[in-house]
Amino acid sequence: MIKGSPRFQPFSEKPISLISDSGEWTGDFELTLDEGELKRIYRDLVASRIFDERLVRLQRQGRISFVAPSSGHEGPQVAVARVVRPRQDWLYPYYRDTALVLALGVPAVEIVGQMMATRADPSRGRQMPAHPGSKELNVFTVASPIASHIAPAVGTALSMKLRGTGEVVVTTFGEGATSEGDFHAAINFAGAQGAPIVFVCQNNRYAISVGYNKQTAAENVAAKAHAYGMPGYQVDGMDPLACYFVIREAVERAREGVGPSLVEAVVYRYGPHSPADDDSRYRPPEEVEAWRKRDPLPRMRSFLERRGIWDEEQEAALRQEIDAEQRQAVKQAEASGKVPREWMFEDVFAEVPDHLLDQQDSLG
Amino acid sequence: MSMQTIVQTIARTLDQEMRRDERVVVLGEDVGKRGGVFLATENLFDKYGPDRVVDTPLSEAAIIGAAVGMAVHGLRPVAEIQFADYVYPGFDQLVSQAAKLRYRSGGQFCAPMVVRMPAGGGVGGGHHHSQNPETHFVHTAGLKVVYPSTPTDTQGLLRTAIRDEDPVIFMEPKRLYRAVKEEVPDGDAAIALGEARVRREGDDVVLVSYGGSMGEVLKTAEELERQGVSAEVIDLRSLMPWDRDTVLDAVARVGRAVLVSEAPRSVGFMSEVAATISEEILDSLLAPPLRVTGFDIPYPFAYDREYLPGPNRILAAVQKALDY
Repeated sequence: MIKGSPRFQPFSEKPISLISDSGEWTGDFELTLDEGELKRIYRDLVASRIFDERLVRLQRQGRISFVAPSSGHEGPQVAVARVVRPRQDWLYPYYRDTALVLALGVPAVEIVGQMMATRADPSRGRQMPAHPGSKELNVFTVASPIASHIAPAVGTALSMKLRGTGEVVVTTFGEGATSEGDFHAAINFAGAQGAPIVFVCQNNRYAISVGYNKQTAAENVAAKAHAYGMPGYQVDGMDPLACYFVIREAVERAREGVGPSLVEAVVYRYGPHSPADDDSRYRPPEEVEAWRKRDPLPRMRSFLERRGIWDEEQEAALRQEIDAEQRQAVKQAEASGKVPREWMFEDVFAEVPDHLLDQQDSLG
Repeated sequence: MSMQTIVQTIARTLDQEMRRDERVVVLGEDVGKRGGVFLATENLFDKYGPDRVVDTPLSEAAIIGAAVGMAVHGLRPVAEIQFADYVYPGFDQLVSQAAKLRYRSGGQFCAPMVVRMPAGGGVGGGHHHSQNPETHFVHTAGLKVVYPSTPTDTQGLLRTAIRDEDPVIFMEPKRLYRAVKEEVPDGDAAIALGEARVRREGDDVVLVSYGGSMGEVLKTAEELERQGVSAEVIDLRSLMPWDRDTVLDAVARVGRAVLVSEAPRSVGFMSEVAATISEEILDSLLAPPLRVTGFDIPYPFAYDREYLPGPNRILAAVQKALDY
């Protein structure tokens, strides 16, 4: 797409949208995605939602201690997973990116294992739940300090540029992260160097309880890209295909060496920030309901049905298949057993130094 | 062999490592065309170009954070922080990302990188050009901390730091940058992290120090010799890990230890050394381990001499140990 002229204009007046709330294609270009890819996007959306609801249940049952609900954020997350080249490109996600990592192909058993701190966790039980990572899929392990992963993401992109690998980095974060100094430091550096990276902000308008207008006086997040010398795209995050095409164009732009972009996906977090949060204190239930009416799942489903490639029977079969897969993953993650105490002093350094061996011994 | 200062050695070692390993890159403020404000990266830009000698925006968070991401992707970044006093905007990147990455990812990712920073007082720089923040780094699980005091040690330790699999904070005693000149060996000799160096042997008292204070400590040892007191001098060189065995063996043999560091006193590195001596070899001591340190005040512009541990304060501590 970049090789011709870019399809999307940055800094649009309204969020870029390609399908209406009722699933009608409204894009001004011919849709070229084949049926398989369209259905794959829908499958990832459904799997993510079912998975998120399952994690919330597991937390309520006391089987995991924490969850960062991602329902409502699936549009941009699934889009990122679908447009990157897995195992080649790199992802620097944040803690509400469960849909992203699942759709990218991180096995559900690893994600649940991470949340339970069992042997199924490739991170060996070292972090609180909702902090996945995968060396195999180039997913940088999530860290809690907000925006702290963005400068490392830029460093990886600079390494790609230096070596001319043709790889791309996509990093994601919420709008709260854009207030951190490290966000500015990182995106500014990427702009100055023309690094092959796409910054995807999932703007759900609340950083826990603090609303967008208390976060910034900027009209929108995309506008901040002006200051960094790169295009900023605001996209309807509840429109999975708009997310897909805009992020794809930004990724291709980065891959071809044209430079970085900032994409703001306007989404909504249906659930509380975490199980410890009471979101009724800062936002009315009517607001949540209004956003749920714009939900990406029925929207994408209507889109497929309108094209005559989806029906009730396929829907039921899909949900059954996903449910069975995830049940099995939870079982496996739990059955693998808690991480052993012997791991506690490992991985601080490449080799365990003497003073840590002494401290380990003192544990008895 | 060639006569070199510490700062010349740094530039030469970086050059050698960049030639040896194309993964090694240098980044920081003014490290490119300018060759660094202290000239520690002189000539590298002309030799290796802007992709491997990166003039960064004025942002320590961007420098250290980007180094983490470069290391994760397989490069061997050497980041320069212009003065240790300016590391704080990048502190979160060091503490939360560089230091924790291996552990929190279960060994999936790591950040083999070096963060160089000139540190210490005695250069008339006032508070924001004189601090010794090494204790912050030692206290952060996952960082190695090195603080050499001679050109030869700087060469050997910088080599090791660049080749190490973990993030290394490489502190440079800037008041010794050009004050010490010595024959530095050619070749590829490296010095292991965590090995102290006995700079002088003696039987009456052990002086333990590192970094910028080593000059004063050696001067004091000479003065003690004139007074008939035989002092052993140990240069720790690495603070994390540190060479407990060399220190404990010497102090157990001699019975007296004076611990010198220009960093603030409370919970400074020498508090750890003193506690270790007390825990491990109390029965061998003729006097309690005594600290001579900077003070728990902001580094004072007008009082360099009073703030830094000089021969007078070190001599007084030695006398106290001898009289105990």
